[in-house]
Amino acid sequence: MEKTTSVVEAINVKKTYMLGKVPVDALCGVNLKVESGDFISILGPSGSGKSTMLNLIGALDKPTSGTLLIDGVDISKLNDNQLADLRLKIGFVFQFFNLIPRLTAKANVELAMSIANMGKTERSRRATQLLETVGLKDRVNHKPAELSGGQQQRVAIARALANNPKFLLLDEPTGNVDSKTAAEVIGLIKKLNREDRVSIIMVTHDQRLAHEAKRTVQMFDGLISSEVVN
Amino acid sequence: MKTYDIFGYSFSAIKLRKLRAALTTLGVIIGIAAIVALLSITQGLQATITTQLNQGLSANSLIVIAGSGGVFGGDNGGFGGGGGGFEGGTTDTSGFNLYVNHSSEIQNLSPDITSAFAIIQRSGYVQSTNLNRSVTIYGVDFNAYSQAYSTFSAATGTVPLNPAENDAVIGSRVSDPRQNGSQLIIAGDEISLLWLNATVLPPVNETYTARVSGILDRIGGFGIGGPSDTGVYIPISTAQSFFNTDLSDMIIVTLANSDKATVDNVSSLITDYFGNQVTVISADAVQSLLTNVFGTIQLFLGGIAAISLLVAGIGIMNIMIVSLIERTREIGILKALGMKSRTVLTIFLGESVIIGLMGAVIGIVAGWFLSIITARVLGSGMFGGGDSGFAITPLLTPEVVFGALLFGIGVSVIFALYPAWRASKLKPVDALRYE
Repeated sequence: MEKTTSVVEAINVKKTYMLGKVPVDALCGVNLKVESGDFISILGPSGSGKSTMLNLIGALDKPTSGTLLIDGVDISKLNDNQLADLRLKIGFVFQFFNLIPRLTAKANVELAMSIANMGKTERSRRATQLLETVGLKDRVNHKPAELSGGQQQRVAIARALANNPKFLLLDEPTGNVDSKTAAEVIGLIKKLNREDRVSIIMVTHDQRLAHEAKRTVQMFDGLISSEVVN
Repeated sequence: MKTYDIFGYSFSAIKLRKLRAALTTLGVIIGIAAIVALLSITQGLQATITTQLNQGLSANSLIVIAGSGGVFGGDNGGFGGGGGGFEGGTTDTSGFNLYVNHSSEIQNLSPDITSAFAIIQRSGYVQSTNLNRSVTIYGVDFNAYSQAYSTFSAATGTVPLNPAENDAVIGSRVSDPRQNGSQLIIAGDEISLLWLNATVLPPVNETYTARVSGILDRIGGFGIGGPSDTGVYIPISTAQSFFNTDLSDMIIVTLANSDKATVDNVSSLITDYFGNQVTVISADAVQSLLTNVFGTIQLFLGGIAAISLLVAGIGIMNIMIVSLIERTREIGILKALGMKSRTVLTIFLGESVIIGLMGAVIGIVAGWFLSIITARVLGSGMFGGGDSGFAITPLLTPEVVFGALLFGIGVSVIFALYPAWRASKLKPVDALRYE
């Protein structure tokens, strides 16, 4: 058996927001471990704290207390610049695709690599290759508005993979596409996990989608209520 | 993120909103064009005046006028340059008078002095069968004057070195006022010279008939002490009796050489000799005064133009804030992808640098054209309408170009600082949630 290392490890993570003057506990002590090569889904109704969990795992925000290790680094101890650098190792895929509308599919993928300081020739080559991997070889020079929802989501996945991330972090990846496209997208995600050993963390409220993962973590009221191996 | 990637990204954002960017840039263009146009016209004007001064007042000549009021404070006339010249300002109250025969006393002061001669000047009229116009009448020593000023030479006829009492030499515009080649007075003509003698009551018109022995070459511009296109020159002795005076308006002193030591030495010898009751004007002093005056004018005009650039700066700030709000989500995406705050800051500043650079470059070119057009209009109109019309050639110095470029970009960047800072400070979580 291959030795695994954890890409994400949460130890008693708490997050409290101030809603005006009222403190709201979004996370009340979450413990979670995601190993390299794993594929987990975080499932929960709205208000369960899964979006907060997503922001923390995406290094977009810091926990109020507790320890959150991403790629072995405690994010509470990082400043804004270090957090930005850490995000280069995370492949974020958003529910609303979040592509830059004025850039072509290829330029969107290249943008992620230019942020990571990759040279022009290398990133152009890699962007083309990644778009081929997600099945968009003939849509390279199309702008997001010229692509279907499923195609846009695949561009977003290609962009997320651009900097060889430690894991892909998906936020409702099929929330905005039809069921046929959703099946295609989830197929692609499973293939990436199976064949390329990409670690995947998927946040969703869709029960069926959640069970496509190797493991499903159920959240409720800011706590992990159950964990199921599928 | 590499610099060219940052600028590439900034440029793609500008390209998306072409009209908005064009209008923002237009503000910078107008500001820079105004600055460049005003400065190149004033610098051109200064260069023109300096050149003409150098022709009119050579470096090796001094002008002595009565009164200790400084360069422009002399008694009774100061600089006489026909219609376009300076006229002296304050009246000397010391009671000191400079006489025609003071010239020989000055000549004996130093071996460095090659000649010293007096000039008497009055406003008057010249009348002939087909002409009646106002002129300045100068009484000069024809011989010394032609040696001191090479421009005192005849185009037609001659400048007599030993003139008869009624000989006169006239400037080219007296003969040809419209400057179209139709000479209303030619050499050999008889003209009436007239001046209003207000020293007696009631004032009387004094007149005599002179014979034109020569018409000067066209000189252009004006000279201090030197010959003018609108002057009528008569022998000094004739002037003394015609104007009934022995008072001299100025004494021109020519020197053997023009180095600063000689100029300063002779200047102080003359002022000391007359007990500080005269002012000695040298080319040097006039030029430094002009430089000061033009420096102030440029600062003033440049300041006014700079205000328009400030308005453009506020336009940039306004548009950047709008852009920042529109692109909040985009900033969130960039940050989620790992972009640092300072890179976001640079992207926004990059956009303002591009706008500033484009505005400055186009503004400099536009300002240059504007100054050429303005100079043409001024040259043919306001200034040219006077008696001593002169053309302004606008001058665009590298300093102005470089300064305008820096100023344009600088203002754009300064006004973009606040919106760019706000963009960089956006929290990725909030920015991503923004609809």
